[in-house]
Amino acid sequence: MESRIHDSCFECTLRPDRLFCDLPADALEAFNLIKCKAQQPRGTVLFRQGQPAHAIQVVCDGRVRLSLGSESGKRVVFRTVGPGEILGLSAVLAGGNHEVSAETVDACSLATVKRKDLLRFLRQHREACLQVVNLLSQDLHVAYDRVRSIGLGRTRRSRAVHIH
Amino acid sequence: MLSPYGMDIIESCLTCKMRTDRIFCDLPTSALQSFEGIKYATAYPKGAVLFVEGQAPRGIFVLCKGRVKLSICATDGKTLILKIAEPGEVLGLSATVSGKAYELTAETIDPCQVNFVKREDFLRFLKDHADACFKVAEQLSEKYNNACHEVRSLGLSHSAAEKLARLLLEWSSKNGEAAKQEPRLKLALTHEEIAQMIGTSRETVTRLFADLKKRQIVQAKGSTLVIRNKNALRVIASSN
Repeated sequence: MESRIHDSCFECTLRPDRLFCDLPADALEAFNLIKCKAQQPRGTVLFRQGQPAHAIQVVCDGRVRLSLGSESGKRVVFRTVGPGEILGLSAVLAGGNHEVSAETVDACSLATVKRKDLLRFLRQHREACLQVVNLLSQDLHVAYDRVRSIGLGRTRRSRAVHIH
Repeated sequence: MLSPYGMDIIESCLTCKMRTDRIFCDLPTSALQSFEGIKYATAYPKGAVLFVEGQAPRGIFVLCKGRVKLSICATDGKTLILKIAEPGEVLGLSATVSGKAYELTAETIDPCQVNFVKREDFLRFLKDHADACFKVAEQLSEKYNNACHEVRSLGLSHSAAEKLARLLLEWSSKNGEAAKQEPRLKLALTHEEIAQMIGTSRETVTRLFADLKKRQIVQAKGSTLVIRNKNALRVIASSN
């Protein structure tokens, strides 16, 4: 089957369905110049919690699992992100370390953009910045749902089902 | 202008002296002038509810003065306090941007000044002012990171003692006391509210404080808490 994901965002037929990718032509052209496309096999750790966030990764294809860990090695799956979503966005914008670890669930196609390039791009392209604000708002809703399900679980047992 | 709650109301963002220290408020003059035209400066007494979880988003609330408790609630009435918002924070941001219901309940715990902006005005403002849009992205990022932190704390902490120790260390670091041998912090919340912050009962928090005092790890001086043995508190905080 011919892939609908291409090296150039202009040729990607899935673009209109994806919140961040559906950008005006000038913004897309600028994004195309700063992104670096790569394939990652299943099970690849893209970044670990606590590492400095140097770049974002737009998921073009495949799924990525985000998890949180404690010093003792306990892990809780935070969420699974799919095509069109951006990894490391909040950490990159906040200029801090990754709050979560990311591992590919499938073979993934990812577009990486360095922090410095992203910040310049967002300042120059208002539409892209608005898309980022929309994406972050959605991410935050999901995060609060997760807080609710873990924090307000009625029993230790119901909380335990969320922890791996 | 002096409000009924004994606060000096900051009428104009353009003349606000605190503006430069606050992420969202430190906008270029043109954006600030536009913001000035769409905001409503309001004063609230302690205990006022700004918005309720599940309510359709009316707009954002920029907290200028005072503190606001942000919480979520289960159907059985159990409450979890996610954060105590400080001046400079924008409340109701993700709901206003996405159009989904408010995710949290916001209640003032001091007399507060709040600048309210209607949803449609705020969305237009973001479209017109790239700098403001960028600052909103930064604020949302910070909130998302806080939510991750909350999930980690609630989902992976072993005991209430561990969570309380972490909270006390966190508070002391925010007050710039972290480097001190015996950091001090002002306990502005009740045991009930602290319990809601760490997902336990009021009785457990009272028992844990009594234990910490007995072991001379902390000492209460009125509403000020002195951490006498920081290392012991750190050991409790990482005991999972």
